[in-house]
Amino acid sequence: MALPYYAKKRIIDVIISCFMLLFLLLTLLPVGWMVFSSLKSSSDIAIGRVGLSRNVAGQVEVHWDNYVDMWKNVNFGLYLKNSLIICGATMFLAMILSTLASYALSRFKFPGSDLFSNTILATQMIPAIMYLIPLYIMFVKFTVLTEIPIKGTYTGLILIYSAFFVPFSIWILRGFFASIPKELEEAARIDGCSALQVFWYIALPLARPGIIATGIYLFLQAWDELMFAWVLTNGDTMTIPVGIRLFVGNYQNRFDLMMAAATVATIPVVVLFFLLQKHIVKGLTAGAVKG
Amino acid sequence: MPREFLVVKKPNRKSKKGLWQRIKQDRIAYYFIAPTALAMLFLHVSPICQGIYMSFLHLNQNTLQSYLLAPFVWFDNYYKVLIDPTSPIRIGLFEAVRNTVIYTVVVTIGTLGVGMVVALMLNRKFWGRSLVRTLFLFPWIVPTYVTGLLWGIMWLKEGGLVNVMLVDWLHLLPFKPSWLTGGNTMWAIIIPTIWRYWPLSMLMLLAGLQTIPDELYEAADIDGAGPWTKFWMITWPMLRPVWFILILFGLIYNTYSFNIVIMMFGFGAGFPGEWGDLMMTNIFRNSFQLWNFGTGAAASVLLLCVMIAIVNVWFRYFKQAEEMS
Repeated sequence: MALPYYAKKRIIDVIISCFMLLFLLLTLLPVGWMVFSSLKSSSDIAIGRVGLSRNVAGQVEVHWDNYVDMWKNVNFGLYLKNSLIICGATMFLAMILSTLASYALSRFKFPGSDLFSNTILATQMIPAIMYLIPLYIMFVKFTVLTEIPIKGTYTGLILIYSAFFVPFSIWILRGFFASIPKELEEAARIDGCSALQVFWYIALPLARPGIIATGIYLFLQAWDELMFAWVLTNGDTMTIPVGIRLFVGNYQNRFDLMMAAATVATIPVVVLFFLLQKHIVKGLTAGAVKG
Repeated sequence: MPREFLVVKKPNRKSKKGLWQRIKQDRIAYYFIAPTALAMLFLHVSPICQGIYMSFLHLNQNTLQSYLLAPFVWFDNYYKVLIDPTSPIRIGLFEAVRNTVIYTVVVTIGTLGVGMVVALMLNRKFWGRSLVRTLFLFPWIVPTYVTGLLWGIMWLKEGGLVNVMLVDWLHLLPFKPSWLTGGNTMWAIIIPTIWRYWPLSMLMLLAGLQTIPDELYEAADIDGAGPWTKFWMITWPMLRPVWFILILFGLIYNTYSFNIVIMMFGFGAGFPGEWGDLMMTNIFRNSFQLWNFGTGAAASVLLLCVMIAIVNVWFRYFKQAEEMS
């Protein structure tokens, strides 16, 4: 069959688009199923009944009460508060550290800068468990010696998270600072700004989108951290992943509450991401484009 | 990621100024990196050194109080990890290593493969393109612990969505297989990981695709190249830096994967042991459930050595490939 070139191309295009949409649906299916299941009863999830739960009289029943029960049974409010405090403070502290350091690395070629940036790169290769074992013992020992509690406090986890996520954010932010034209800063220097003023009045405002994007990304990373939090928090300071994991261990058949908790834990992340997705996408891919 | 980070630049040694003068001239840079350097010294360098030292100590909950003064046992921990057939960490180690290798290789290839296909599909002009791209990013936003929990329920034998779809709706299998125990367990952790991470590869590859100038494809069209030739001769080589970074990070992050397995199986009775244990979960359970910190540290030092070797080999291979082309 001799179809004209453009018609053939058009047909292939439509087939690819259909395939893509099918794949999109398949990709989103688990998330949709999670939200849908959180509105069903636990036994209906366990036997795999499709569709919403029905009560004895056969009427459809949406279990909104899962979200209320979850708040009571899982003590989700506490975990949410802890996660917000820890991740927020981590974001704030780590961004201060990494903004300063990445500016220095992208603008100055000083003795030791190669050592510093290579060390930062090398930390990415080290398994997290290798930090965790000594840090755990350090924390226990520190408390024994000074009687200042640090294991199980916000401070301990915030410090560790900040130090842990700083290398990656320095890496991303360096690209943002490097993309600011040097001429702007040189002009400001000629006009009599000090190096500090140049940083504060020129570089920082120009890099703000990048700083925000990196900060959000860091927040999401900290939100997702389980291993350190499992070992270094206690009943009062545990974060959402730890809380959910404990709940799953204790109530193995309350699938409805698990799904509700999972949905609520995902919502803040989704909101943050969609508010700032343009910045995040740009920030993460900037490096790849430069290659 | 920018390639300049991967290449060690030699500082300009020809400058006539002495070292001290250069330090003085750039002293503001030192003020700027000082807080980070300090934090890294305390929370990166010091734990690493202690961890390496601890791998030579007999450190468990009895000797925990003596910290670094615990009995020094030379290579006994390494002997326990690698050779001694009766030590608890040795028993599951072979399976953990095997699972980690399978997991890392399959997940890395899977995320890159799916990411590449979708990136190519998205790299056309059609209506609603940026919306579709954003929706494709959705799995990547879902926290990994939610991914583990959610898929753990989706893999359930009776009521799980996977079995309902495969058996009840599509009738692909005559019976409902169990996914969370036995040989299928590897798939139960590999597939969610690919589902969670492929959008990142897609994003990077798409960004890479968009930097390829159209002129190259137009020139190829004039020369009469088919789509297959164009892919292998233009797209593939132009994306090489992106591939390099994605494979590097895929190898590192997937080897150190932890959250999904732990959220799916937990720390206790439900753990699949030989079928789904990974290196990180193995070391974690040995260190914080059996309280064998010494052997845990030794195992993580070994893991780090292997990782350094892999990364070095990969760097060398990539450099060679670059020079060949």
